[in-house]
Amino acid sequence: MMKIEDRLSLLNYKIDKSYAHITVNPSICETCPDHFCTFACPAKCYTLIDEKLNFKYEDCVECGTCDTACSHGSVAWTNTKGGHGVKYKFG
Amino acid sequence: MSEFDVIVVGAGPAGASAAIRLASNKVNVLLVDRADPPGSKNVSGGVLWGDSLGQVIPDWEKSNMLERYVEAKGVTFLTKDSKISIDFRSKKFGEYKSGYTVLRTKFDAWLAKKAKDAGAMVASGVTVDKIAMKDGKAIGVEQAGETITSDAVILAEGANSRIAYDSGLKKKPTDEKIALGVKEVIKLPEKTITERFNLTSPKMGFASEYVLGFLDGGVKAGGFLYTNKESISIGAVISMGDLRKNNQTYSFNVIEQFKDHPFIAPLIQDGRVEEYSAHLVPEGGMSVDSVYGNGYMIAGDTAGFTFSNGLVLQGMNYAIVSGIVAADSFMEKKGKGPDMNFANYGENLAKTFVMKDMKNFSGIDRVTWSETIHNTIPAIAEDAMLNIFSEDGNPKKHLSQIVLSSALKHKDKRKDLAVDLYRMIRRL
Repeated sequence: MMKIEDRLSLLNYKIDKSYAHITVNPSICETCPDHFCTFACPAKCYTLIDEKLNFKYEDCVECGTCDTACSHGSVAWTNTKGGHGVKYKFG
Repeated sequence: MSEFDVIVVGAGPAGASAAIRLASNKVNVLLVDRADPPGSKNVSGGVLWGDSLGQVIPDWEKSNMLERYVEAKGVTFLTKDSKISIDFRSKKFGEYKSGYTVLRTKFDAWLAKKAKDAGAMVASGVTVDKIAMKDGKAIGVEQAGETITSDAVILAEGANSRIAYDSGLKKKPTDEKIALGVKEVIKLPEKTITERFNLTSPKMGFASEYVLGFLDGGVKAGGFLYTNKESISIGAVISMGDLRKNNQTYSFNVIEQFKDHPFIAPLIQDGRVEEYSAHLVPEGGMSVDSVYGNGYMIAGDTAGFTFSNGLVLQGMNYAIVSGIVAADSFMEKKGKGPDMNFANYGENLAKTFVMKDMKNFSGIDRVTWSETIHNTIPAIAEDAMLNIFSEDGNPKKHLSQIVLSSALKHKDKRKDLAVDLYRMIRRL
C-alpha cells in the first residue's frame, strides 16, 4: 500500500503563504465526537496529534470534501486565490 | 453598458463549450478560471462519452488531446477472492460511438485554447468570489472587491460549487448528493497497455467500472480503470455516507485496497504512480432548485449533471451539452431587449438527454449504493460461478437450482434483495 505522504509528494502546489483558504474553529474541534474529517480528507490535511485536531491547508487538493464531512460547522471553506493551490499535471 | 455580453465561470467542459459556442457567434465573452493554466485543478475519471463536443469542435476526434478510443467496456464485480465481469467488445463501437479516455489538465487547457481561438477572452488564475446581484438580477461577477459586469453569467464552476453556495444559488450537498472520487495516474509503456488489455491497436482503449464489494469495514465504493496512451487512470468513488458511518477507513486508502486486489494488481504491475488526485462527484441528479434565474444559468457539475448506474459513469457529455444549450439560450435573448431571465434555458435543456436522464433516473443512486449491488449480488454470483465452473465429483445441478441455492445462502437479505431487484429493474 502506497503511503499517502508519498502520493502527495508527487503533486505540484503553488502555496499561498499569506492566505489559508480553509480554516477550522479549534473550540468546535476540541469537543468533536467523531473527527470524521481525519478519515474523509483525501489529502490527510486533518490529523489527530495527542488527541488534538491538527489542520494544515498546504497539502489540500481543493476537493471540498471536508466542508461536507464536518457536520459540526467547524470548517470554513473558500477557494484559493491568484492561481494558488494544487496544480495537476494530468487531472 | 456591460463590459461583457457573457461571463462564463469555470473552464471545464461545460464552461469551455459555452465559451466556444458564444465566441464563435461573435458574442463578447469572458471565460474565467481560478486555475492557471486553465483547467489545471480539474479532475475526472475520465472517459468522454458520445460526440457532443462535435457541436462546438467539429473535428474534435482528430485532436491529439484524446488518449484512446474505448473499444472494450467492462463492468465488474470484485469480491475479496473473485472477479466477475462482462468485457464487452464490439466492432460496432465505431459506428455507435463509445468514448475517448482523456486526461483533463491537458484536455481542458486545449478546450480553453479553442475558446480563445474562437475569440473569447480567457482569464486564468482569477478567483471569482460571488455572482454580483442587483435588484435580483445577476449583473456580473465579484472578484477581489471589484465587479466585472456582463449581461449574463454562466456558472460552471464544478462540483465543489463555492460561488453557487456563497451566492445562495445552491445548498451545500448532503452525504447522499456527493461522493468522493480518488484517483491515481499510473505510467506504463504504450505497448504494455495495448498487450495487457488485449487491445487491437495503440489507439484503442479499455474502460471498466467496478463494484468494490470487498472493502474493509464494508465501505461502499465504485472503482474505475481506464487506459490512456501511456498511463492508466484508476480510482475509487466512495460513498460519503458509508465512509462516515464506518469512521475508521481513510478515504485515501480505499483506492489502495482496489489496486491491491489480486485481479487488479497484475493490470498495473510495474507501473509508476505519477499523480494522485481527488475530486467530488455529484450524485443523485440535479442539485440546484433551478438551473436558471434572472441574468444567470448553471451548467455542468454545479447543477448536478452527472449520470451513474453502476454500468457507466458519465459527466463530461452532460457538461458539454448543458454549456452549449446555455450559450444558445443566451443568443436567443441577445439584442431582444433587457429581459435576461433564462427560463428558455430550462425549456431548451428539458428537450435534451441531459434533463431527460435526470428526470427518468432520479433515485437511481438508491440502487447503485445499495447493499444488494455491493454485497449480495456479488456474493451470490461468486457462489453460483464456483458451483458452475468447478468439478467436485457430484452430479451436476440445473442452473436455476444453483442460483436459487446461492441466493438462499444469503436469505437474511432476501427481503431486501426482492425489493432491490424490483427497484433495479425499474430504475436501471
